[in-house]
Amino acid sequence: MRAGRQIGKAGYGWTVFVGVVSLIYFFPVLWIILTAFKTRADALATPPKFWFSPTLENFANVFSRSAVGSTEAFSTGFGLFFFNSVFVAAVSVTLALIIGTLAAYGFSRHPLRGNDTYLFIILTTRMLPPIVVIIPIFLMFRVTGLSGTYLGIILLYTAFNLPFSIWMIKSFFDELNPEVEDAARMDGSPERRVFLRICLPQIKAGLAATAVFALILTWNEFLFALLLTGTDTRTVPVAMARTIGGEIGVDYGLLAAIVCLFLIPVFVVTFVLQKQLLRGVTFGTIRN
Amino acid sequence: MSDISLSHLSKRFGELLAVDDVSLDVEAGQVLCLLGPSGCGKTTTLRMVAGLESVTAGRIEVGGRRVEHLAPRDRDIAMVFQFYALYPSLTVRENVAFPLHAEGASAAEIAERVARVARILELEGLLGRKPRQLAEGELQRVAVARAIVREPTCFLFDEPLSRLDVQLRETMRGQIKEVLNGLRKATVIVTHDQLEALTMADNIAVMRDGRIEQVATAHGIFAAPANLFVAGFIGTPQMNFVPATVRGSAPAGTRFEIGARSLSLAVDPAVQALEAGAPVTLGVRPRALELTDREAGDTLPATVDVVEPMGAETLVHLADGERDLRIVVPRQRQPAPGANVHVRFVPGQTHVFDGDERRVSHE
Amino acid sequence: MQREAAASAAGDAHVRGFLPWLLAPERRGALLVTPALVVLFLMNIFPLLWSLGLSFFNYRANRLRVPSFQWFDNYEKVLTDPVVWERFQTTAVIVGASVTLQVVVGFSLALLFAKEFPLRRVLLMLVLTPMMLSFVAVGVFFKLFYEPTFGLVSQFAAMFTGEPYVVLATPAGALIGIVVADAWMWSPFVMLLVLAGLVSVPRDLYEAAEIDRASAWRRFTTITFPYIKALLLLAILFRTIETFKLFDIVYLITEGGLGSSTETIAVYLYRMAFQFFRTSQASALAYIVLFVVIVLTNLYLYSIHRRRGPG
Repeated sequence: MRAGRQIGKAGYGWTVFVGVVSLIYFFPVLWIILTAFKTRADALATPPKFWFSPTLENFANVFSRSAVGSTEAFSTGFGLFFFNSVFVAAVSVTLALIIGTLAAYGFSRHPLRGNDTYLFIILTTRMLPPIVVIIPIFLMFRVTGLSGTYLGIILLYTAFNLPFSIWMIKSFFDELNPEVEDAARMDGSPERRVFLRICLPQIKAGLAATAVFALILTWNEFLFALLLTGTDTRTVPVAMARTIGGEIGVDYGLLAAIVCLFLIPVFVVTFVLQKQLLRGVTFGTIRN
Repeated sequence: MSDISLSHLSKRFGELLAVDDVSLDVEAGQVLCLLGPSGCGKTTTLRMVAGLESVTAGRIEVGGRRVEHLAPRDRDIAMVFQFYALYPSLTVRENVAFPLHAEGASAAEIAERVARVARILELEGLLGRKPRQLAEGELQRVAVARAIVREPTCFLFDEPLSRLDVQLRETMRGQIKEVLNGLRKATVIVTHDQLEALTMADNIAVMRDGRIEQVATAHGIFAAPANLFVAGFIGTPQMNFVPATVRGSAPAGTRFEIGARSLSLAVDPAVQALEAGAPVTLGVRPRALELTDREAGDTLPATVDVVEPMGAETLVHLADGERDLRIVVPRQRQPAPGANVHVRFVPGQTHVFDGDERRVSHE
Repeated sequence: MQREAAASAAGDAHVRGFLPWLLAPERRGALLVTPALVVLFLMNIFPLLWSLGLSFFNYRANRLRVPSFQWFDNYEKVLTDPVVWERFQTTAVIVGASVTLQVVVGFSLALLFAKEFPLRRVLLMLVLTPMMLSFVAVGVFFKLFYEPTFGLVSQFAAMFTGEPYVVLATPAGALIGIVVADAWMWSPFVMLLVLAGLVSVPRDLYEAAEIDRASAWRRFTTITFPYIKALLLLAILFRTIETFKLFDIVYLITEGGLGSSTETIAVYLYRMAFQFFRTSQASALAYIVLFVVIVLTNLYLYSIHRRRGPG
């Protein structure tokens, strides 16, 4: 079949051009990365320094530093925060994918009366400024004792990721050819098998794409994490915000180091799933 | 001077040599068919002429100009794609008019030319529709219309009828041939369907594995195939191939040993030059065989295996223990399965292919 | 099947009869969908309704008195408050400018990445990174970039004009600063969606256009644009909704400041709820914002249904 998936191929000349543009776009990030390796003085130097002797003290400070005016170092607990972020994100994205896929399959293959209404309501839950629901949720969490627990924040993030996941995954299911499933049913496969062995494998790329998007959104979430996590369950964005509340102003080097470390997991996941991401976005969103 | 000229054209994809030293000429007003099985390089050759594939080696001339380094738009060619490639967002009228914008024609001229072409291809009622509202045959007519609305030096067709059902194919074959006759431009058609090639082309180039096996008129390909491959590719039902050994020649005919039996056939005089004991393959079309009651020097005994009615004719599968033969007889004369018959090789219609699979001929 | 129907008809909730009843084909759809709906209801819908309820009272989170029912008083107060309209204006400006910029930049980037070329995967990651940063990082560092003495932007400008350019000195400048930061962060999102569209165009359409000698502009309008139209609108919809809710970046870069010239509706909401503790009023305002967003979404869905794509 002649219809391919690319407009055309280009050579190294194009690579150079796009490379230049990409680097310019990437520049602020590059600056942050460089800042992570600078001493405090270098970070704020005028004119801005590109060549400097790099230091790892910021990265060390991420994990353990001394308060202003004292020489005693205390562990910042960053390791815990990092773990919390990873744990909360991984579990909530996974949960959202599982529950969302079941729901999407239900909406797609076993539509109920009022299907469209349900879907629209699900979409609207994304539209409200989080500020609005923060108070009821805050009170709710207090009353049920979920405040500061893993369960609480994970449930909340799952609920955040569900609308988008359901919409995306449903459109993937809509793309599939139902005849393949009917054939399997006639061969005597139970429903569970049809779902697991036939439908799911076909939308692997779409699931990957949804996972990446959900991950990016959850990873950096700040507002609810601020209010609903306790000292043991705090995630990195909250920890980041606390470092800029210092008396002597922002320690840019420290913040940059945190940003760098925090960026790595998301970056790696996105890079690994890049191909699926592109393919998944194509499938799911054309079909509006 | 030919309007299309290919000289020693080759195309390599990495390790794979898709087109190997192809040379062809097409005169103005002539239709050349590139015929062959999938993967033989015919589509790649066509795309090289169009400029959609780069050339690894060789020359392409269109209208007397060397074009192998030019972009498709500068080659003055029009193409009909296998999957039509109609612009989904435009109506039929806009699709057909599309190529004319590049010529800077006035709106009035465009309208007139589109109307003329629409009349030729019976598209008048469909001009306002979009491609997604058309049936397969209509889509094809629009694709052809878009190509002929211009006045290029030549036309290229990529498997034009492959997506149509049998009846539609018959109608369109005739229609396209009529249109091409009217236009008198050099045309190259790529197809894997021999019936298409035989009916639409002035010349046929049979290709296999990137190389041209034979270039000839339809009749020439049919009656005088250059080798075993071409002979087996053209003609339905397929030609029968019988391995044999040359035993000797006599004025009555050349003697062949086929397994335990022997046949004496009148064949091409050049066969006499073959030495006794040379292995050959006899090629005889199912319609060049007859059923007789009597045994003779040019018959073989056989048993009827399967009888396939084909309407006015019947295809009979024969077996004689060592080999199978297919023969076509009129329906009234079809034998019963299991009957013992004698098959006669009609004089002068048996081809002999030598050990290198080339047809032995004095031409 | 008949046994089960009979069992349920008899109201038989006996354990043996309940499970088959639950798993029956007619109930499958509902069964699959229920877990999601439950989670969503608990975490999203229930708080939403509560908050809707709040908007009808005069609850203030820092006072202990019992709230009394106020009917639509809060809505009235909010809608007649000139400050609110100003904030809407500011928000509209930011949303308009940022989304436009995101579309332009995202689209251009997509054009760059539509072909296959060496190192494409690596360069694509570079361009996607801004989306993966946390708001805190972007907010703080962009504020640094804009800083009068140390900031990169100021110093860069100083190289040309001799004087450091202070981005955040003027209301217009502050708005631009916010818009640039937001657009920089989210253009990659638009790029991804447009790229998906570009990549899905069948190649033989471009080949046909090449043979038909179509100009680049014609190729774009006839072939490319119809395929990406739907996706572009989707990107615009998502980004508009999200930008309307913009809080983090604004708060971190300007705190709504330069007086209140860059205070978006979301920042104002925050103040209302957490600084002035006018909780009920904040809920009312939030519902008005929701209403606006729903209207916009419906406009989008309507326009999608009218033009059913390229076919």
